[in-house]
Amino acid sequence: MSGRTVFRFMVIIFVMVYAGIAFGQDGLQKYFNGAALKVKATTDPTQKREILNNSFEKMSKALDKVQGSPLVSKDDRAGLELFKATLQEKQDELTGLNGYERVSDEQLDAFSDYVVQDMEQADRSITISLVAALLIIIIIILLV
Amino acid sequence: MLLVGVGYCVGLALFLSSCSSIRPAHRVTPLGEEGAFPPRYSIVFIIHGDGGYLYHDVRGNAYRADEETLAKAITVAQRNPQAEVFIFHEKRRRHFLLFFPRRDGKFYYYRHGRLLAEETYWRNQGQSRFDPEVELYHRFRAEERPGLTRLFLYFGHEIPEFGGAGYDASYSKRRFTVDDLADGLKRITGDSAKFDLIVLSTCFNGTPHTIAALAPHGRYIIASPDNLHLSYFDLGPFEQLEVGLPDGDVSAFAKTLARHAFDRQTEDMQTAVTVAVYDADRVQGFLDSVDSVYDRALATLKGQTLASIEHFDCAEDPAYIRPGMSEGVDVFYRPPRFGRLKHKQSHSGWECWRFLK
Repeated sequence: MSGRTVFRFMVIIFVMVYAGIAFGQDGLQKYFNGAALKVKATTDPTQKREILNNSFEKMSKALDKVQGSPLVSKDDRAGLELFKATLQEKQDELTGLNGYERVSDEQLDAFSDYVVQDMEQADRSITISLVAALLIIIIIILLV
Repeated sequence: MLLVGVGYCVGLALFLSSCSSIRPAHRVTPLGEEGAFPPRYSIVFIIHGDGGYLYHDVRGNAYRADEETLAKAITVAQRNPQAEVFIFHEKRRRHFLLFFPRRDGKFYYYRHGRLLAEETYWRNQGQSRFDPEVELYHRFRAEERPGLTRLFLYFGHEIPEFGGAGYDASYSKRRFTVDDLADGLKRITGDSAKFDLIVLSTCFNGTPHTIAALAPHGRYIIASPDNLHLSYFDLGPFEQLEVGLPDGDVSAFAKTLARHAFDRQTEDMQTAVTVAVYDADRVQGFLDSVDSVYDRALATLKGQTLASIEHFDCAEDPAYIRPGMSEGVDVFYRPPRFGRLKHKQSHSGWECWRFLK
């Protein structure tokens, strides 16, 4: 193997590792931000609800799969469980279940911002490791 | 082959520069030549960036909270000709070629609006968390003048009250709690002085324990007892302190700052917005009265995962309701637009912990 091939291989590995780290760290916020942008891009409330609902369901499925993975720690499982519960609350509010008032059609854009902003607080209540975050994003991509 | 050789040389040079023990100080202007009069304001910024700090505005544009704050802190430094400003940016640890660690702290020192020093440092050197920052502070600080107004601002995720491992994404076993912050503040000011104002731009640090830990080191404290979005408190009022804080009335300035931060956050936020100003002397009675109750609660929660406990307004638990609960606290509160708490109309300004129901 020539020196140039080794060098290229190393560069590819570095790029992939760094890209993976960035992808895992920011992927969850970007996922919900993408959904919010789609919600605001349409004027049809039914479509808005469908986009939000799909984003919650896809994320919940990914969380279920990651929770069962041997790669995630016990602490991660607890964090994922809490994350899933907060998602379920939002889904309940969107549809008006479990004591929530249903989010009105006029409030759907604001609600999509609420979902994004709730993920972007300066708290530490949901702690998910990089490995778990990366797995979630990979599974979401596979679910498309 | 020539290209590969050049690549290796560049790599080696970068490696040596990243690992060198030589202090990479970049002093822009020699100290002592920047002006004869001592500064009227001393401002210390600590900006934590070693974690998840991505956020979006309502148009979907992405920002890094620490980088945005750094840019604003530099603007504050440049627009205050009567101030000295210390900015510490605690960055994620990065590696050259995956293996060789690079410095993960960056320090900027401004005096009279001019950058006098800029250097990188290791954050994990020393026994205490803020050893590098304390050392840099004392190395660069100007001669003190009577009536110096001292301001301290911290930007980051909620500072833990217990546990504290994992606060830094780069150092998963390293612990950081409010007691470490209090220790750092004490070593910056010394035993005989206090900060006039401490600002915690974090979530959930408006608690009896955190305020009690910081009260010996500050006259006024601004913190959020509830959630705070990563877009943080706005720094606008810190620009031109000779206009915003002309007569040293820190109490009025703190309330103006809190009101301004609250107004800016409520413009776009759908989540709760809560900003509180604590007068360290006047809240002491309440803190003394709930100290044992809160400490007992903390002791039972230690060792629990964060997934099994939650924050709540202390006013919801009779054990914390005392006659002086609102003494010395100014609270600016707007409930979240959605969620279970959207009808909660007020906040006591004090946040506590409990097991999840």
